This record gives sequence, structure tokens and C-alpha cells, in this order.
Amino acid sequence: LPSLSLSFLIQLQEAFSKGLLKPGLNVPLEEPKKAVNNIEGLKMCLAEFKKNLPWVERLDLTNHPAVDVLAKIEGTLNKKQSSGEIDAEDDFQREMYFYRQAQATVLEALPKLKKLQIPTKRPDDYFAEMAKTDQHMQKVRKKLMQKQMAIEKSEKAKKLREQRKFGKKVQVEVLQKRQKAKKAMMTAVKKYQKGMTDKLDFLEGDQEGKKGSTASKSQMSKKGPNAKRKYKDQKFGFGGKKKGSKWNTKESFNDVSGFRAKTAHGKGGKKFNKGGKKNKRPGKETRRKMKARK
Amino acid sequence: LGKSQCRAAVTRVEIDVFFNFHVLFVFQGKWKNKERVLVFSSRGINFRTRHLMQDLKTMMPHSKADTKMDRKDKLFVVNEVCEIKNCNKCIFFEAKKNMDLYMWVSNVPHGPSAKFLVQNVHTLAELKMTGNCLKGSRPLLSFDPKFDKEPHYALLKELFTQTFSTPQYHPKSQPFVDHVLTFTIADKRIWFRNYQIIEEDASLVEIGPRFVLNLIKIFQGSFGGPTLYENPHFQSPNMCRRLMRMEKAARQKERQMVKEIRLEKRKEVKEVLTEDVTDDVFVTPAEEKPKEVEHEAPRPSKSKKKKKLKLTELKKRTLLKRKGLR
Repeated sequence: LPSLSLSFLIQLQEAFSKGLLKPGLNVPLEEPKKAVNNIEGLKMCLAEFKKNLPWVERLDLTNHPAVDVLAKIEGTLNKKQSSGEIDAEDDFQREMYFYRQAQATVLEALPKLKKLQIPTKRPDDYFAEMAKTDQHMQKVRKKLMQKQMAIEKSEKAKKLREQRKFGKKVQVEVLQKRQKAKKAMMTAVKKYQKGMTDKLDFLEGDQEGKKGSTASKSQMSKKGPNAKRKYKDQKFGFGGKKKGSKWNTKESFNDVSGFRAKTAHGKGGKKFNKGGKKNKRPGKETRRKMKARK
Repeated sequence: LGKSQCRAAVTRVEIDVFFNFHVLFVFQGKWKNKERVLVFSSRGINFRTRHLMQDLKTMMPHSKADTKMDRKDKLFVVNEVCEIKNCNKCIFFEAKKNMDLYMWVSNVPHGPSAKFLVQNVHTLAELKMTGNCLKGSRPLLSFDPKFDKEPHYALLKELFTQTFSTPQYHPKSQPFVDHVLTFTIADKRIWFRNYQIIEEDASLVEIGPRFVLNLIKIFQGSFGGPTLYENPHFQSPNMCRRLMRMEKAARQKERQMVKEIRLEKRKEVKEVLTEDVTDDVFVTPAEEKPKEVEHEAPRPSKSKKKKKLKLTELKKRTLLKRKGLR
């Protein structure tokens, strides 16, 4: 404890007896260090220091920031901000506050400058040195372009992903539809076979499609690529006819495999058997075999 | 972004145009407001501060540069330097510990001076600030209304106005007003921004530089004299760092204490709350062994290295196989 004077001790005793001091160790509080704020001195200094220049020399303005139009529209006008308290931590708000302050200044100052005939717009043919070099401005432009391109790319990628997802969805739906149709057909057929329904309308919708497809399929598989393939194999394949080989030799002359008697004698007639029965129902044995295969 | 082109070879026609415009606008009046600002620094500044100084010199055509001052000299030497250069304002940057940057703004012969701590410095060269302005064009100054409310802020406002505003008809200045400097008070600090005026409807783009000033003290004299104002909210960077370190240390100490307490708790004899009668049923003390006194020293144990060599059968076999002995 610091050295206590007698009078102070007596005071403490009195206070304790009156009940002002609590029992226990009482530590005398240090007065917090007062910061110097010589208001009179400041005002005097300002008065001495002030230069009463015309506004045109100083070009200074003191103003509140311009009203935030967007915030007003959206209805998020912050009461705090209008009174002047800015949240320094919220970067965007803070910068917007500074921006609006500058805007308000500009809006106020431009008419004043016009009156004093000080130009604010530089004419197009006035070439002068700028604070930032042209090279630097090119770099800035490049960076902005890069940013924009990056954004565009990401947008494209997003769209593509969405499309793919959508496409996948559609594909899945189509497959499911087909499967459902097949299932329905099968159940209908089974029902008929078991004798639950004796209507054959389910066949109509399907039979044509089925038959047509199978018939055409078998035809295609027989003639289509096979004949072409055969010819090509013959011409170019291994063991096929090559360039400089002889023709009209004894063997080829004696070969009568390509001879069709009916065609030669004009009795075959042209092939117009397509108008026959389309839905030629296969025989019992064939039907049984088909069923078994399935 | 720059309608203007900076031409390397200026043709005769352009000289005429330039001259005419200059004559029209600049030489129309005499330069009366003789303000000159000396911008320089002490030793030990880093690249960012150097660029900031350069930027300020670019922005202010009424500025002059000087060589770095040795830190051994006292601060009032700055006044003499300013006198030699015939300047009546001074912006002096002081760097300490390679980390902290202090800025003095002063009216040199008799007037007031202020010391600030500079934070959040961004220079002109940053690519995010896309604006541009004429070199040496006169700025508009924009102040927060809070500057008028307190006497110390009012004094600072006057100081900034006189220092940063370019005098009219200064020979190095450009006659157009195309950018605005803003000083705002937020979070008990002064924020500085520089915007380019693009259109008449007040659409702006930031040019830079930008920094934050934390007021420390205002003196009545230039770089000295009685203190007029001391910022009670200012905490020196050393103090900030010290507080952080102490906080860390306190946390560590607390953790240590908690650990120790836990250990102590485990070691102490625990009070038996309920006596169980059947507790000592299985307690059978061992027979007493005869005391054996060893007369000879014990044999030294095999070294640990040899213990490792105890291979299992499988390993032995593989080793031999590899060696080709099997």
C-alpha cells in the first residue's frame, strides 16, 4: 500500500464506521489518464491559421451523402446511415457511403463551377498527360475483359450442365414409358391367354407395329447389307477377283449358276406379290416355337 | 477509360492546340495563392509507402520532393528543410519497425501540425481502381459534416483544404476539374478516397490512392510545440500487438492451469461415500517373502539393437531364400 497520511487514515475510519466502506481490501482507484483537449487553444489556432480565400481557390464542400435511390426503392433505407453513423466493417455499405458523399459534392459543385466558367469536361482534342499511363490503363482493361470472360464461361458451363441434366431426365422418361408400354402389353397378352379377357384389341395397336418391324427386319437382314457386302467382298476381299485376272475363261463360260430359266424364257413374270396377305399368321408350330423362344 | 492518348511525338499542330488552350484557360489569370507542399519521408519505408508518396506527388502539382531524411535528426530539422525548399506545407512519412507508417501534415513556419497513423494503403497502380484523371488537374474536396462539429476536426479540415487543394492558375496544373477527393469520418478514423467524374450526372469511378488516417495528436507548432489535442481512442500499434500477445498468453496459461487442476484431482484421495461390506472379501494379502540381498551386480541386459534382430521363422526363411541359400 502507498504511504497513507494520518488524515487520510482518520477519514477512512470515519467512512468505515458510517458504513460507506465495505470490509476487505480497498484499493484507491487511479484516475484514468485524461486526453488533452484544449478546445480554446484549437479555436484560437484555427482562427489564426485560417486563410480567407475565395471558394474558387479552395473548391471544398461539406455535405451529407446523396440519398441512396436504390435503397429507397427497395425500402431498406437504413436509419442509422441517414443520421451519419457508418458501419465501418460492412465494406460495401461503407464504400457506397463515400461514393454518395462524393456524388452529392459533385452535384452541388458543378453548377457553381459553370457559373465561374471553370470547365469540367475535357474536349476530345485536348491531349495531355494523365495520372495513369496508357499502358496501365490497357492492363486494367485487359483485367476487366478477363473477368467478364470468366463470368461468361462459367455461365455457359452452368447452362450446359442444366441442359445435360434435362436431357438425361427426358431420356429416362422415354425409357420408362417404353418399359411401361411393354409391361402393359405383356399383361394384356397374358390376360388373354389365361382367358380373362376375350377382346383382342390390344393386339391391333401392337401387331402391326410388331409384324411390320419384324418382317422388314428380316428382309433387311437378308438382302440389304448382305448383297452389298457380298459384292464388295468379292471385288476387294481376300480371295476376291483382282484386277489383272482373266475373264471369259473356260470355267466362267461353263459356269451356268447365274442362269434363271423362267427369266430367260420370259415366263417368271415380275415380282408383285406384295399385295398378298399382310398379316399372314404363322402356323401352329411356328407360333409355338416363337412363344418358347420368348 | 481514357479518351486521351499520351503521344510520344507531339506534332506542331498539337503544340499549337495545346498552347492555345493553355493560354485560354491557364494564363488567363495570375497564380496568387502560393501554396507549396513538400512531400518526403524518412528512411526505412517499404515499396507501398514509396508508391503512395509518388501518387500524392502526381495528384498534387503544387508539391515538391526531397531526399529521405535520416532518422537520427530531430523532427524540427524538417522545418529547416521546408524553408530551404521554400515550401509552406509539409507531408512527412515516417516508417517504424518496417510495419507502422506515420504521416505528419503540417503548416510549416508557425502553424499547426498533426500526426496520423496510416492504415489500409492502396496505391494508384492497383488494377481494381479503374478511373483516370488528368495529371495535375484541380480536385474538388468533399468533407463529412462531422468535420464541422468538433473543433479539432474543424482545424484538420482547414489543414487538409489548404494542403490538398491545387491553387488556381498554378503553372503545372490543368484547368479542368475532373476528380474529387473525399474525406469521411467513420469508426473514429478519417477515410480518404479519390474519384473521377465521368459524366455531368455525377457518375464516378475510383482512381486511387486510398488510405485511412488515425489521428494521434495535434500540435500547436510545426513538428513540435504544445499539444492541442490528443485522440483518446488511439491505441499505438505496439499496444495492439502487445494486447494480442497477452491474450494468447492468457489463453495458454488458462489451458495449463486447467490441465494441472485435472491432474491434481486425479491424484487426491477420494472420499468413500458408501461403505460396501463386501469390498474386502477378496483381499488376501500375499505371503511374506524372505528378504533377498544381492551381493553381485545384475547382468547387463542385451542391447536394444540385438533385440530387434529376433526374427520370426517366416522372416528367416524369406531372408534365406532371397540370399539363395535354400
